[in-house]
Amino acid sequence: MPQPAESAPATVLSKPTPIRTAAFGLGRLRRASRTERREWLLALILLTPALVMLGLFVAYPFVRGIWLGLLDSVVGREGQFVGLQNYAKLWNDSIFRRTAQNTFIYTGCATFLKLTLGMLVALMLNNLVGFKRILRASMLLPWIVPTVLSTLAWKWMLDPTFSIVNWILYQVGFIRLRVDWLGGPVMAMGSVILVNVWRGTPFFAITLLAGLQTISPDVYEAASIDGANAWQRFWKVTWPLLMPVTMVVVLFSVIQTFADFQLVYILTGGGPANSTHLFATYAYQIGVATGKLGEGAAASLAMFPVLFMVVLFQLWYIRRGEGGKGGA
Amino acid sequence: MDERRRGNCGRRWTSVPRRTFLKAAAASAGAAALGGIPGILAAGQAPAYSKGTKLHLLQWLNFVPAGDKVFLAQVEEFARQMAVAVQVERIGMNDVRTRTTAAIEAKSGPDIILIPNNLPHLFGDGLADVSDVAEAIGKDQGGYYDLPRANASSGRRWIAVPQFVYSWAWNYREDWLKEAGITKFPETWEEFREMGKKLKAMGRPIGQGFGHSENDPNNYVYPLVWGFGGYEVEKDGKAVVLDKKGALEAIKYNTALWKEALDETGLSWDDASNNRAFLAGSMSVTGNSPSIYFVAREKFPEVFKVINHAPMPKGPAGRFYQLPTLSSAVMKYSKNQKLAKEFIRWYMSKEQYGKWFEVMETFAIPPTKMWYDHPVWTKDPKLTVFRDVIKDARQIGYAGPPGRKASEALAKYIIVDMFVKAIQGDKPEVALRWATEELRKIYGA
Amino acid sequence: MAAVAGARWKRWVFLYLPLGAFVVVTLFPFYYMAVTSIRPDQEMYIPWNRPNFAPFWTLRPTLEHFALLFRETLFVRWLLNTLMISTLSTVIALFCGLLAAYALARLRFPMGGTLGSGIFVTYLVPQTLLFIPLGEVIRNFHLGDTPWALILTYPTFLIPFCTWLLMGYFRTIPRELEECAQIDGATRVQAMVRIIFPVAMPGILSAGIFAFTHAWNEFIYALVFLSSAQNKTIPVGVVSELVRGDTFFWGPLMAGALLGSVPVAFIYSFFVEQYVSAMTGAVKG
Repeated sequence: MPQPAESAPATVLSKPTPIRTAAFGLGRLRRASRTERREWLLALILLTPALVMLGLFVAYPFVRGIWLGLLDSVVGREGQFVGLQNYAKLWNDSIFRRTAQNTFIYTGCATFLKLTLGMLVALMLNNLVGFKRILRASMLLPWIVPTVLSTLAWKWMLDPTFSIVNWILYQVGFIRLRVDWLGGPVMAMGSVILVNVWRGTPFFAITLLAGLQTISPDVYEAASIDGANAWQRFWKVTWPLLMPVTMVVVLFSVIQTFADFQLVYILTGGGPANSTHLFATYAYQIGVATGKLGEGAAASLAMFPVLFMVVLFQLWYIRRGEGGKGGA
Repeated sequence: MDERRRGNCGRRWTSVPRRTFLKAAAASAGAAALGGIPGILAAGQAPAYSKGTKLHLLQWLNFVPAGDKVFLAQVEEFARQMAVAVQVERIGMNDVRTRTTAAIEAKSGPDIILIPNNLPHLFGDGLADVSDVAEAIGKDQGGYYDLPRANASSGRRWIAVPQFVYSWAWNYREDWLKEAGITKFPETWEEFREMGKKLKAMGRPIGQGFGHSENDPNNYVYPLVWGFGGYEVEKDGKAVVLDKKGALEAIKYNTALWKEALDETGLSWDDASNNRAFLAGSMSVTGNSPSIYFVAREKFPEVFKVINHAPMPKGPAGRFYQLPTLSSAVMKYSKNQKLAKEFIRWYMSKEQYGKWFEVMETFAIPPTKMWYDHPVWTKDPKLTVFRDVIKDARQIGYAGPPGRKASEALAKYIIVDMFVKAIQGDKPEVALRWATEELRKIYGA
Repeated sequence: MAAVAGARWKRWVFLYLPLGAFVVVTLFPFYYMAVTSIRPDQEMYIPWNRPNFAPFWTLRPTLEHFALLFRETLFVRWLLNTLMISTLSTVIALFCGLLAAYALARLRFPMGGTLGSGIFVTYLVPQTLLFIPLGEVIRNFHLGDTPWALILTYPTFLIPFCTWLLMGYFRTIPRELEECAQIDGATRVQAMVRIIFPVAMPGILSAGIFAFTHAWNEFIYALVFLSSAQNKTIPVGVVSELVRGDTFFWGPLMAGALLGSVPVAFIYSFFVEQYVSAMTGAVKG
C-alpha cells in the first residue's frame, strides 16, 4: 500500500493529531517498553472483532473475486486460468467504455449537485430560526426510504404516460409537449442523476449543517468588520473551515455514487442503448445476466482501482490543504 | 387404456380409496415410465423420503393470481401425499437470474427453479438431467413444440422441463381502428405501418417499448428481424450474418415506423409501461400477453369491450414470434433430485396441469401439443389467437442453436439497442455494423 | 422602518422561498406516494395530459391497497425482520467499529495506519463482486435463509464507516480526560469504557443511524441469501410480491414504501438533534 494512503486518511477527520503510527516500524517492536507492548496487545484485542468480521466476510470473497476475474468461469463451471484476458476484453468492449464514461459523468454531476445544493440548504438552515427540528427530520426521509421503493416511485412519477412531473411543468407553463424523462440518452442520464441528487442531498445538508454550527460566530464578525461581503465571507471563512467535513462527506458520497446499483437497475436497466449503464450494473449484467462470472468479476474489479485512485486523490488533496496550514 | 389410467389418476386424489387405485395403476402397463407418484407406487418402489425432507421451489411471480392459487393447492396436495414439506418461494422476474447464479455458485439453494427463456442453457452446467421426466411428459401429451424443446433441451439431453410459454399478440382497440377506417388488423408489416400512420395522426399511436426490459422489447425486435429475413447467426452458431440480409431493411422499416406510427416515448418503456398506457387509452395498438385484457376485464370495463388481439404481421420472410418460455429445472447440487423430479412429474401431469392451465386462461401456452384443442382457447374468441402463436415461434439466436451465446446477445440487448441507436439518429448501416460487431465478439469467443 | 422591511424582503427571497422550494421538492415524492396509496386503480390509469388527471388528490380514497399489503403479503413480518436485522447488524458494526476506532485513534502500535487504511479499503469493494463468493461462505457456515446471513454480512460495509467516523470523534476528545482517570487508578480499559465511550455517545449514535439506514436499504444480499417469504426484508419482499410480471401494483407498492420509511423517520426525528451534534463533534477535529 502506498505511503500516502496509510497516513492520509487519519488526517481527514482530525488535523491536530499528528500521525505517529506511520512512523512506527516493526523494528520498534524489539525496542518497545513493557507499557508499549501492553498497548500493542490491547490494540490487537480491540481490533480483533472488526478484523475477524471483515476477514471472514470481505477478505475471502474479495480474494476469490480477484481470482475469478482471472478465470474464464461461467456459471456452474470452474474456469481455466486466462490471465488478464478478461480485462483485455473489457478494454475492447464499446459498452464497457460507454459505461466507464457514464459512471464518471454520473458520479461527477451527482456529487457536484449534491454538494452545491446541500451546502446551500445547510447555509439557509443555519440562518433559520425555528422549524429546524422538523425540517431536519423531514429532510432525512428520502435518505431513509428503501432505495428500491423510492426509485420505483420515481419511475412512476417519470412514466412517459402518467408523469406527474410533466403535468406540473405543463401547468406551470414550462413545457408544451411531454418530456420523455428516461427516453433520450441525455435525458435519461439527467433523470438518473436527479433521483440520486434527490436521495443524497439531505445527507449532505444535514452533515454540512453540523459542520457549520461548529464555526464560531466570532469568526464571521471579524470578517464583517474587515468589510467582507457575504460572498467573500463564504469563500474566505466558511468554505475553508468547513473543508474537513466537506471532504469526508464527499469522500463517502463519491464511493457510494460510483458503485451505485439499485437506482439504475430499477429506473432504466442501463438503457436506452446503454446510455445509463454504470460499472456496477454492467458488471452485474455480464456476470449474472450472461453468466460469465469471470468477466463479470473483472468488470466489477475494473472499477476498484479507479475508485481507489479517486479516493487517493481526495485524500492527497485534503492532506495538501491541511499541510499548507501547518497541520500534519 | 390411456384414457382409463388417466381417469383413475384423476380420482386417485379425490375419492378413490388407495387400494383400488393401486390395483388400477398396476393393471396399466408402463405406468412407472409415465408417472408421477402413481408410477412409483405401481412399480413397487415406494418413495423413501425421510421425514423432514424439504423441497424448495423458486419461481417468479406470474401474472395470474388464480394460477398461483391452483398451483399452491397442488403443492400442498403433493406435500401431503408424499409426506414431505414443499416450500414455494416467489420473487420478482428480473431477480431469478441473480438467485439462480448465486445458488449454483454456492451449490445450495432451491431444488427446483423455474427458469425463463433459453437460460437453461446458460445454467446448463448446474442443472440436473431431467430427460426421463421431460420425455415422458412429451410422449404422454402429444409431443413438444419446437420452441420449448429448443429452450430446455440440448441435443438429446433435457436440462429442464418446459412448463409453459407466454402467449403474446398484438392488442388493439377495435373502436379506434374502425374510426380510422381499418376493419381488419394488418396482415403484413407494410399494412401495419399504414395503419399506424392513420392512428398516430389521430393521436392514438402504436405503443412498443425499446427499453432494457426482458420481454416486450425482445418479443418485438427479434420477430421483426426474422420477418425481414435477417438472423444473427448461421445454423452452425458461429458465422454472424446479421449484416448479410434483412436486418438492414428491418432497421429502416422500424425507424420509419417510429416516426410515423409509434409512441415516441417507447425508448424508456419496460414490460409494464405499455400495459398502463394502453389501459389508460393513450394508444391504440400494442404487443403484449393477455395481461392487459385481464386487467381490463377486472377493472376497466369500457376498455375491455373494445380490445381484441391479432397475430404478428408477416414480413417478406414470413411470420415469426419470440416468446418467453418458462421451464422447471432441477438443480444439480440438490440433494432431493429424485423427489424434485417427482414433483415436476406431478404438476406437469395431465390432470394437474390441466387444472392450472385452465385458470391461466390462455396466458400460458402449454409446451406440448395435446392442449391445442382445449376449450380454454375458444371460450373467449378474442383470446383464440394466442393459441397459434407458438407454431411460428423461434428460439432466441435463431437460426443458430439456442445456447449460452444467444443468451448473452439477449441479455446485452444487442438487437434491441441496434434499433434504438437507429431511432436515436444513427444511420441504419452504422447501427447494424455496431450490432454485428458486438455479435461477432459474442459468437467468436 | 424601511431597513427592516428590506431585511424581511431579503429573508424571504434568500431564505424562506428557496428553502421552502427545496422542502417541497424533497417531500413531494412522499406526498405522491401517499396519494397513490389511497387512490383506486381505475383512477390511477389516467394519462397526465387528460383533463381529468387529478394528481394531487383523489375523490374516492380507498384503503384497499393497504388492506392488500397487510392481508395478501407478509408486510408486518418483513417490517419486523428488517427492523431486527438492521438493529442487530448495526449493534455488531458499532461494537466492532467502536473498539477498532479507539485502537486506531488512541493507541500507538505498529502497522496502525495500514490497518486503518485496510479497513477503509474494504468499503470500496463492490457488492456486485462480493455476493457470489459470499454465497459460498454463507453456505459453509450454514447461514442460508436465516436472518444471520444478513446480520453477519451487513456489518462488512457498516464497520468501515463506523470506524472512520468514530476515529474522528475520538480524536476530538481530549487525552487528558483519560489520563486523569488513569491517574485516579482506573485501568486503560476502564477509562475507555467509563470515560471515553460515554463522552463519544453522540458520535456512536450518529454512526448508528448511518449504519441502520444502510442496512435498512440493502437489496442484493437480502435477495440472494434469504429465500423463505417469512424471512425476507421490506425491499425484497415488497418488490417480489407486488411486481407481478408486467403489472405493477402501484398502490400497495407505494403504501409499502411509505410504511417502510415514515416510522423510521419518526424514530430518527428523536435522534436527529443528537445526530447533528455528533457529526459536529466528528468533524470539529
